[in-house]
Amino acid sequence: MEKKVLIVDDEPDVLTYLTTILKHNGYTPLSAHTAQLGMEMVERKKPDLILIDIMMPKESGISLYTRLKEDRRFKDIPIVIISGVAQAGEFNFRDFVSDKSIPPPEKYIEKPIRVEEFVRIIDELTGGSSSARSKAGSNAKR
Amino acid sequence: MPSGKTRQKRALPPWVQYELLQQVPFNVAIIDRDYNIIEANDNFTEYFGKWRGKKCYQVYKKLDRPCDRCNSGLTFEDGQARVSDEVGVDQHGRQAHYVVHIAPLKKNPDGPVDYVVEMSRDVTETKSWQQEYQILFDRVPCYITVIDNDFRIVRANEAFRERFGDVRGERCYEIYKRRKKKCPRCPAAKTFKDGKVHKSDQVGVSKTGARTNYIVTTSPLARGSEKIAHVIEISTDITETKKLEEEIIEAERLAAVGQTVAGLAHSIKNILMGLEGGKYIVSLGLQKEDKEVIGQGWEILERNFEKTTTLVKDFLSFAKGRLPQAKMVNPNDLVMEIINLYKVVAKKSGIDLRAELDPKVKKAPLDPDGIHTCLTNLVSNAIDACQMSEKKKCFVTIRTKDERDVLSFEVTDSGGGMDYEIKKKIFTTFFTTKGGQGTGLGLLTTRKIVQEHGGKIIVRTKEGEGARFKMEFPRKRLLALYGKEKHNTA
Repeated sequence: MEKKVLIVDDEPDVLTYLTTILKHNGYTPLSAHTAQLGMEMVERKKPDLILIDIMMPKESGISLYTRLKEDRRFKDIPIVIISGVAQAGEFNFRDFVSDKSIPPPEKYIEKPIRVEEFVRIIDELTGGSSSARSKAGSNAKR
Repeated sequence: MPSGKTRQKRALPPWVQYELLQQVPFNVAIIDRDYNIIEANDNFTEYFGKWRGKKCYQVYKKLDRPCDRCNSGLTFEDGQARVSDEVGVDQHGRQAHYVVHIAPLKKNPDGPVDYVVEMSRDVTETKSWQQEYQILFDRVPCYITVIDNDFRIVRANEAFRERFGDVRGERCYEIYKRRKKKCPRCPAAKTFKDGKVHKSDQVGVSKTGARTNYIVTTSPLARGSEKIAHVIEISTDITETKKLEEEIIEAERLAAVGQTVAGLAHSIKNILMGLEGGKYIVSLGLQKEDKEVIGQGWEILERNFEKTTTLVKDFLSFAKGRLPQAKMVNPNDLVMEIINLYKVVAKKSGIDLRAELDPKVKKAPLDPDGIHTCLTNLVSNAIDACQMSEKKKCFVTIRTKDERDVLSFEVTDSGGGMDYEIKKKIFTTFFTTKGGQGTGLGLLTTRKIVQEHGGKIIVRTKEGEGARFKMEFPRKRLLALYGKEKHNTA
């Protein structure tokens, strides 16, 4: 069965972009353009991995992240923060969440993404999609 | 001096004479020509101790011979009364300062002085206060001078003397500023005129031409209704503080530049992400020869090119700055334009958008486009705040007011409000709470336009309780702007 990856980002172009990559690499992408919808989607679809943007109107990605990690039902779903706020090496999760009981995310990916690296991280965190191994990564190069 | 005859006539009963001697608030002693104390009151005894059979110098100063300069001796010689300051020792051996009044006593008015009465009073405490004040005067880390109404320095404290030398008789402006004439905005001149305390920032020039920043405070030196003949001038050197202030401003400016660059980078990253996405999808579509996918990618590319253009335009209009093109307009009309512009959007979101216009608002010289931009930014922010809050019913109100020569526009919303962290950042470049939807330049541009009108923008907000943005324009400044504008176009 294809692994489900949820993307929460308020930018429709980002949703289209990431959805396309995921689909092309054998995943079932789910998308939500607000944190609220993201939460509902998690409850309904139980994704295998969640990608969250930080800066979103109404509720920030950090707030959604915290809610998920505080929820016993969802705290074990791996989460990747994907944002342009900091460079990959300089992202310090504790600048955003000082509460030590909330663990840092599995990964931070900086926008704009590098497709191969993005796919590699998704594969790592989900154990790879059923079709990913046969496809050997993305054919569409950046 | 009353004559011997009169004294005879007014002779008091002995007990009154005794009481008089006791009740006088002085230490009184009567001495003969050989300095023997022959009588003294209880005050004297209490202060100096046993005196019977002793000489005055033994009692006053614990000396075994007459003082070098003996004022009583002089009075015995010339019959003149005198007052002197003396330093002696009290009965506990403590050094004491006292004032001594010396008067001759004569049995025969035309004869020699038979006795001298010494009336002394302890002024040690007053003296020590005086000393403390002197120390205070000398050591406070300010330059203190007393100047006369010709601005000549009459007295100066130690700090002043150490810095400028003994320059008594010279004029303060010559010393502080190497000027030949009185300074403009001279606080001392004001104090001479109105007798009040005045304060002013002044820049001094040293011998080497170095500049020193001072805060100068002047106070009148006069008793009651006397005409002011002297003024105390206190100058505090604030050069270091000024320098620090400038360094802080510079650091903040650099930090703001840093934030601007970081913000710009963030905006560009988001656009790049879109462009990358478009490129990826187009290239995927080409591979699959799928026109629909190509079209989808192409659309993303177009949208993000458009975003680049908007960002660059916004950024340039923010960075460029232009003088407001002021025209006489009715501020209430400007507000109504905005209400008309937003009423549909507001209604759709269930927001009650209304204007509360002060009918007393008079026409004002404003840049209508600029104010339009400001009100648009504030109202669209207010509507966003309402939409983003959980509240079911929200309102946005635009108020105008024209009071005490200040014209104001106020945009209030009952949305989610802001916490301190957000409030701190709202006027920083590219800060947005609207994710990809905002450029983070709106409030910054608004503030810039308001400042260009000589006004200021004030924010009041509490998390969960909405926000109020008030733009205030002092009419005096608006008029100055209008004048400049007229001048430019003439």
